[in-house]
Amino acid sequence: MASIVEPFAISHIAGRFLLFDVDAISHARREHNVCGVLIGTIPNLSQQNVFLGIPLELMPEEARVLVEQGHAYILDDVETHRSGFLEMSRETRLTALKAMDEKGRELAIAAKKRAEERQAKALKELGLAPKETEPTEIPPTKLDRYFITPTTSYPVLPKQQETVSATMPEVPRSYPLFRYLHSKGYFSTPGLRFGCHYTVYPGDPLRFHSHFLTTGLDWDEEFDLLDIVGGGRLGTGVKKSYLIGGEDRLLADQCDSGPPLESVRAFSIEWAGM
Amino acid sequence: MMADEDEDLAHLRKPNDEDDDPSDETPDFRLFEKLIGQDAKGLTLPKRGDKDFEPHATSLQLSTLEASRQAMHHVLSWQRTHTSKKHLLGTYDPERNMVFVEKAQGENFMTIGKAKGRLTWLLPEEALFLIEKGSLDCRWPVKESIENEEPTVEVEEGVPMSLQGAYAAFLGFEAGVGGKLTLEMYTVYASLKRSGYVIFRAGAWDDERAELQPPKDISVEDGRSANGHGWSSFFSEIWRRLGSLTTGDATKGLIYGPMIRPGLYRSYTDIYRLLEIVPCHDHKSPPNFMLEPNSSNPYRITFDIYKPDGKFKKTNRGPPDYRICVINARDTPVPTGAQLNDLLVTTPYDPPPPHQTNNLYQKLKHGSRNVILAVVDNGIPSYLRVSDANFSDEKLYERVGRAPRGKGGGFRGRGGGRGRGGGRGQGRGRGR
Repeated sequence: MASIVEPFAISHIAGRFLLFDVDAISHARREHNVCGVLIGTIPNLSQQNVFLGIPLELMPEEARVLVEQGHAYILDDVETHRSGFLEMSRETRLTALKAMDEKGRELAIAAKKRAEERQAKALKELGLAPKETEPTEIPPTKLDRYFITPTTSYPVLPKQQETVSATMPEVPRSYPLFRYLHSKGYFSTPGLRFGCHYTVYPGDPLRFHSHFLTTGLDWDEEFDLLDIVGGGRLGTGVKKSYLIGGEDRLLADQCDSGPPLESVRAFSIEWAGM
Repeated sequence: MMADEDEDLAHLRKPNDEDDDPSDETPDFRLFEKLIGQDAKGLTLPKRGDKDFEPHATSLQLSTLEASRQAMHHVLSWQRTHTSKKHLLGTYDPERNMVFVEKAQGENFMTIGKAKGRLTWLLPEEALFLIEKGSLDCRWPVKESIENEEPTVEVEEGVPMSLQGAYAAFLGFEAGVGGKLTLEMYTVYASLKRSGYVIFRAGAWDDERAELQPPKDISVEDGRSANGHGWSSFFSEIWRRLGSLTTGDATKGLIYGPMIRPGLYRSYTDIYRLLEIVPCHDHKSPPNFMLEPNSSNPYRITFDIYKPDGKFKKTNRGPPDYRICVINARDTPVPTGAQLNDLLVTTPYDPPPPHQTNNLYQKLKHGSRNVILAVVDNGIPSYLRVSDANFSDEKLYERVGRAPRGKGGGFRGRGGGRGRGGGRGQGRGRGR
């Protein structure tokens, strides 16, 4: 795993926030408890929906947290690609193609070697001596090279200058609660299928079950008591608790000018099985 | 219908899933790695890994987590490569935002693409999916140089389009052919494709709205049911007329007197019919729109879905098995009645199939028109089926009354599930 230089780029495409770099995906997960949702198809295993791959879709809240804390910046990938590839100079294009060819050749040689090793192993298991052929060096021109579809467009496109993100990702009003839980080290995933805003995990969802079904509210917002019953029932049914919370705007404004105070409060609701 | 990531693989056997936590969104990639390189025959879907309740900072837990993360990282770093034998080359057309392929071969093209002359054209979602699954090597077009150094530019001279480039190019492009593709639509498209369905764009997405779908086969159906009853319907008609002689015009009489006047009633059916004074929607009447046409209305049919079978032909698709409307959970509120109406009237009149005629609840669930809503919350789709339930057409008293008069055999044979109403009705009928 290669290390990532912060701030890293978040691709902004069609109003959504995506990560394409596998290192950035791992980095956000390990260092910033941001896990997003993998939405892509894994190449060559495209007939299943259980394991999904790159890209990773970030919730706007996740993108916002990363940008606010200076770990990432938003990059308009549509414009970058349109101008970068459609107006590409001949030299850049040929360099890129050459690099791709070389890589393709390396891959082809590696694949060939692996095939030979497998063959030798299989023969050995059958008790046959592998043919005494010296591992001949294959002339690179003779071998059919592989063509590669890269995952990211870099470094073919020049590294983008980090721009100060003028526009912060727009977030729903449940954001303060999200940010609060994130600051406490929780991981969140979208919560629609549990009828809430976020499903909240105490650690990496790879390893842990989620604890809370979370709904963010405004400080003085009135809501239906039945929502608590519904959320509480559902949460208890799936061994989680229902969590609601919101931010005191007045307190938050004080924090901006004075000492940091905790402006968000959260309550968890569980069915007491009496 | 709720279906989501928990669905099992089509071609893999599912293991015992007693421990499966339905909330388990993140499968354990360690198990996935083991799966690779095995024989396709003996594959089982890996069980979701056993998870812990909360972190307790033991080395065991940390190392297991680390292993999971590394496995995931490894799987995510797989490259898309094309051998020269199976090399499928396409070129991006930035004007139409589509991809054209010169030598369209392989089974992908049974259900994807549109041939026009020498070229096969791919819509954005089709091209993006093929690139993502590693079947298509798409190239950016080569900029025509002014000095014309290269008079004949080969496709292969273009720079390969990366996965990132493909997302950036195909999503959200307004000026392309047939409307823009949003990430939500693509998420649903790809997820159904991976499940094996055959899926196409429904109409053109930049139209103001789709056509009304008036019911077609009603006259045929009515004729059949009338013939089926023969004499029994003749007699019931006579009784109905005798009844109406005594009661007169039902609605008029209501102003002055009781809903059921004293008189001759031969069955409960006639009485129930008199009690039916609240008018309700007739599902067989020609539908109409309730809202002004508006191309930005999110409630429109996005995709036509076909169940996979060997006989499918993309040039002669026939009516789809399902129609799906893709909704973004974050910016679309629950539909209004008018929005739902306008969505449903663009689906065809689809009454319950004949083999369901005995099961009232199935019929009600099936409805007369239906559509599937795919609600996508940040990359996670949930599917809901919305149907126009025919409560007004499924009259309990008619069903009961008809049974003893000739069609009874069929009903009686299946009497088990029909409950109290059926039993009582039959008893009465025979008594007379």
